[in-house]
Amino acid sequence: MNAVRPSFAKGVRFRETAEGAAMLLIPEGVLMLNGSAAATLALVDGQRSIDDIVDALTAAYDVPPEQARAEVTELFERLALRQFLTL
Amino acid sequence: MTAQPLSILCELTYRCNLQCPYCYNPLDLERYRDELDTRTWIDVLSQVAAMGIVQAHFSGGEPTLRADLPALVKAATENGLYTNLITQGTFLTDRLLDELLEAGLAHVQISIQAPEAHLGDAIARARVHKQKFEALQRVSKRDVALTLNCVLHRENHDSIEDVIALAERYGVRRLELANVQFYGWAYRNRLGLIPARAQVEHAAAIVDQARERLRGAMEIVYVLPDYFGEFPKPCMNGWGTTFLTVTPAGDVLPCPAAAAIRTLKFENVRTQRLDEIWKSSESFEAYRGTSWMPEPCRSCERKELDWGGCRCQAFLIAGDAGATDPACALSPHHDRIAAIVNRDGDGDAGELVPRRFLKR
Repeated sequence: MNAVRPSFAKGVRFRETAEGAAMLLIPEGVLMLNGSAAATLALVDGQRSIDDIVDALTAAYDVPPEQARAEVTELFERLALRQFLTL
Repeated sequence: MTAQPLSILCELTYRCNLQCPYCYNPLDLERYRDELDTRTWIDVLSQVAAMGIVQAHFSGGEPTLRADLPALVKAATENGLYTNLITQGTFLTDRLLDELLEAGLAHVQISIQAPEAHLGDAIARARVHKQKFEALQRVSKRDVALTLNCVLHRENHDSIEDVIALAERYGVRRLELANVQFYGWAYRNRLGLIPARAQVEHAAAIVDQARERLRGAMEIVYVLPDYFGEFPKPCMNGWGTTFLTVTPAGDVLPCPAAAAIRTLKFENVRTQRLDEIWKSSESFEAYRGTSWMPEPCRSCERKELDWGGCRCQAFLIAGDAGATDPACALSPHHDRIAAIVNRDGDGDAGELVPRRFLKR
């Protein structure tokens, strides 16, 4: 169970381009995102909990829940360490 | 494949009330007095948004000296761009902050010269320390992301612990401890600015400890200066790949320091569309990719990691923008870097010349 509701930190914005590329706009830089990071971060809105995000990803993609949870948690922790995400 | 630009650096003006000798702006500041007007900048911002650029950095000089800064931030925001203001803060009043935040400003970088007033004002050649710290206080209370930046050089390198402590005191979440890079005025002043090797090593240890202690609370950006390393920095992640600069007079550069490269001719937004300049100008094409590379880059396994290093540094130090960056240990000109690190100069070569406009 994880009821934490992640949100983007001040000065961090998620962006998808018309061509389908996804990126995180951060202070003084741009991080290009791979497909799974993009699918995960597209669900971050400060409302959904980590559980909600894992459920949504499991429903939408062919991925076992444990694996989705591990990947999501790892990504969020990495971004939180760099001050891009608030957990 | 045409590269996709992502960021633009808008150098709105080279005017500045400080005279820091580590400034990377060009020596011939007076060539840039004829600044682009508001309409032209707004057109530039709309052109780059159409090219797929997503981020606009406003800098200079001191960009808050332009009265139209809020209007330009607003235009960038309306074009969907993420906006970043790079300022030394002396003019950042509550009123200006209100206008900038209203215009959609996403991030502010405030730079300080030193954590203490005496040293800070001595480096800036101006009594501005108090104003800057009032601005820092103001911004830290606002709903906007903040980076605190301090350029490190011989005169302030030993204050690094105090800079970190100060950032903690102001609740800064992102701190840039930027080792001076040698372009423009900083290149002119390189022998006086280059830190001692012991200072650089000491700082690296302090930063490691602080990162551990502040894990999750503050991101500290500290990059070892390339003059002290083995490999060059991958400047701009490759020439003309994601980034462009527009100078106060409208010249379009692949890198903020590129005006120093006298062998290239740069196009101007007053006479040409930006997408054409990006795609096909001689200056942007000159060092794109790897086919321009000489040895030892050409056969180097790191060629798509380092991209040959920095073209501006190659021009300044090796006299050829197409040479391997002399900061690379494999460069035939690497001894010239060693000479700077060892401060092999004559007499007063280490004397610092303040950045300033010369009379016309």
